Amino acid sequence: MIVFEERPGADARLRMEGISKSFGGVAALRDVDFELGRGQIHGLVGENGAGKSTLMKIIAGVHNTYQGRMLVEGKEVRFGSARDALDAGIGMVHQELSVVPYLTVAENVYLGKQPTRMGMIDWKTMEEGASAQLRNLGIDVNPRTIMGDLPIGLQQLIELARVLFSGARIIILDEPTSALSPPEVHKLFEVLKGVRESGRSIVFISHFLDDILSISDVVTIFRNGRRVATDRTENIDKTWVIERMIGRGHEDIEESYTGAIALSSEPTGTAVLSARDLSFGRAFSGLSFEARAGEVLGIYGFMGCGQIELSRVLFGKLAPNGGALSVNGNEMKLKNTAAARRAGIALVPESRRSMLFYQEPVFKNISISSLGRIAKLWLKPRAEKRIAERQTKDLNIRPPNVANLLGNLSGGNQQKVALAKWLAYRPRVLILSEPTRGMDVGAKDDVVKIVRKLRDEGMAIIVISAEPETVLSLADRILVMKKGRIVHEFANETISKDGLLEVA
Amino acid sequence: MTIPAQPTLVKPAMRRRAFLRSQMRNIAPFVTLIALVAFFWAASPSFATMDNVANILTQISVAGIMAVGLTFVILCAEIDLSFAAIANAAGIVVAYFTAQASYVNVHNIPLPGGVAIVLAILACAALGLVNAFGLTVIGLPSFIMTLAMMQIAAGICALLVRGQIVYAVPDLVKELGAGSIGGIPWIVIVLAAFLLAGHIVLTYTRFGRYVYMVGGNREAAEYSGVNVNRVLAAVLVISAVCAGVAGMLGVAHFGSAQQNEFDGYLLDAIAAVVVGGTSLFGGRGGIGNTIIGLCVLGVLNNGLDHVQIDSFLKILIRGLILLAALIINVYAQNLRSGAVQEAE
Repeated sequence: MIVFEERPGADARLRMEGISKSFGGVAALRDVDFELGRGQIHGLVGENGAGKSTLMKIIAGVHNTYQGRMLVEGKEVRFGSARDALDAGIGMVHQELSVVPYLTVAENVYLGKQPTRMGMIDWKTMEEGASAQLRNLGIDVNPRTIMGDLPIGLQQLIELARVLFSGARIIILDEPTSALSPPEVHKLFEVLKGVRESGRSIVFISHFLDDILSISDVVTIFRNGRRVATDRTENIDKTWVIERMIGRGHEDIEESYTGAIALSSEPTGTAVLSARDLSFGRAFSGLSFEARAGEVLGIYGFMGCGQIELSRVLFGKLAPNGGALSVNGNEMKLKNTAAARRAGIALVPESRRSMLFYQEPVFKNISISSLGRIAKLWLKPRAEKRIAERQTKDLNIRPPNVANLLGNLSGGNQQKVALAKWLAYRPRVLILSEPTRGMDVGAKDDVVKIVRKLRDEGMAIIVISAEPETVLSLADRILVMKKGRIVHEFANETISKDGLLEVA
Repeated sequence: MTIPAQPTLVKPAMRRRAFLRSQMRNIAPFVTLIALVAFFWAASPSFATMDNVANILTQISVAGIMAVGLTFVILCAEIDLSFAAIANAAGIVVAYFTAQASYVNVHNIPLPGGVAIVLAILACAALGLVNAFGLTVIGLPSFIMTLAMMQIAAGICALLVRGQIVYAVPDLVKELGAGSIGGIPWIVIVLAAFLLAGHIVLTYTRFGRYVYMVGGNREAAEYSGVNVNRVLAAVLVISAVCAGVAGMLGVAHFGSAQQNEFDGYLLDAIAAVVVGGTSLFGGRGGIGNTIIGLCVLGVLNNGLDHVQIDSFLKILIRGLILLAALIINVYAQNLRSGAVQEAE
């Protein structure tokens, strides 16, 4: 305690001491200290899985088994639930908004505690109250507007207003700027500064280092479950943050990919799939690029930068609003996923649940995409099994019995089946979304080997990921997406992870 | 999830349990059927006779032909509420294009029998296509789309016969619906042919595989490059055409065509498919289940006539049995997903 009293910011709103937390024997947080001052905006950065979300969930009462002490306004607390945290004045605005789009702005602000008169909702009080609340934050919006009709940025501000209105003095913002345009970010920052003026404290979690550095008073960096650095924003810059995030010059590098990678793309490969000015709703616009035969094209960007929607548009699952797609030089409109498959385009989505049949045997899972080639009218189960057995052997799927129900396989093997389905089909363009998510090192190596082999056989491969390591370890050429646009292309040069993070 | 050590002892028993759980939807209807047969056998001497078996088979024929098409729809996790009305429309259309006796006061258009049959089947296919259009292009839930179609088909019936009753149908339809060969009613043979064809298509063709996959996990089917909308459209057309055949033969079987003639078959056919154990959530079940379901329904309807029971109570009893089957259907689904999770 005394040690803390002597530090600047002794009037901390929130203090965490020696917090450790593990999930099934895997340490997510190791002996973390954290302090949030009064009227402070505290930026929190770190890679996926560095522990920042875990810490925030402890603060917000979502996780309640951990070692260490938590003090709010100097009093030790231990929350049993998110409700307890809210009662103690801690509110969280999640990346996925939790507003009710069909209700009005006023109803959203007063959600769960609408003022009543004689048992009826007191609309006048509610609308005037909401209006005043929002004006205090500098937001000018008609309280009778339906929430869903407003732009995302404004909805987010209204959710923030609700959290503030509920009496929160500590507000945790999880990736608040990922879906916002620059003017919306500017507006958010104006509001946050106002909140800071009122003495409340904000934790600001983001992958966007520029945003963090422009709004925070203090920045804390997490890596591998540890707090590795905390400093005032005026003392630091982006390079300093990136170095600490990925652990350059530190002994505990572990899995981080810090070496420089030489990209070399085969200039002779023909363009198999090319996009021109492709756009889809709010997700992305003006994307132009091509995927070439015998090359792995990496597309890197933070979660929510539009890369998921892009993969769906390329595979004919979503129809683009504008732009054109050509396969082998022929412009085509992909009416559905079957049309994409016939054009030779395949997608392995990031969630294997969305492409596997758990109650069917392995061989039916593998053969489904190439069924049209195996059998015209009558099924040929023996041919199906033969093809499936070849894939299980090539990909080392365990157990190798293809009559097993898919649901009985382990997660990693299920993921391989998802890939096997398309390998059996042999597409011209293979799009892999987050191909190594949640895999152990050995399985990741397998994926790298398979992808390289397919590339060398002349397939065009697109790897889409929010993890820099995935893209760096697989791609020959890298496009960086940011908020729905391509902001940079790396080709024929040497890059490293911090080079990638620098532009994202 | 991996189960830690010591499972070597537990495993066989666990596996057997998991297997039984996963087969629950096939076992339960079969046990129900045997129990019902045993009960009526003991309760009535007239129940277990060859004549009555033929009776039961004839009684389930019209609902059975409808149930074949409906099985495809339910396997895709969709529903068709319009097939009974479409059956009615088919029966009326085929009669409308057949010369009627002079006392029938309907301004119809007599055509050769073959043409009338083709027109009736085309009419059904067209109504099925409208269902498919609403579901796949407009994006209406099948429940709503086919509810509207039920009314549309009933409207077509009403317009064609204007409250009258028509009797004559083409000779081929008359023979298949009301005739018999070697003591076996043709309608039972048609039912058997439809069941067999349905089973072969579902089990041995690529289309049948797609039906199961679309029903099992529609999203996964789409991400595997299956044209899900085309499969859904096809099952709705199949359902409408099966209903059309059932309707034409039904008119011949009952000897007349009139409005609302087949309304009661809506529930019967749905009940047969679901009681048989085909999952309302799609992807599980098949024609084998539908056969058991039809037998349960046939035995129940017929058996209740053989025992001394208030005929008004029959309706309630049928409702209760249907409810029990629905509960088992949903329960089996939960057991099954439980079994898969356990195995994971």
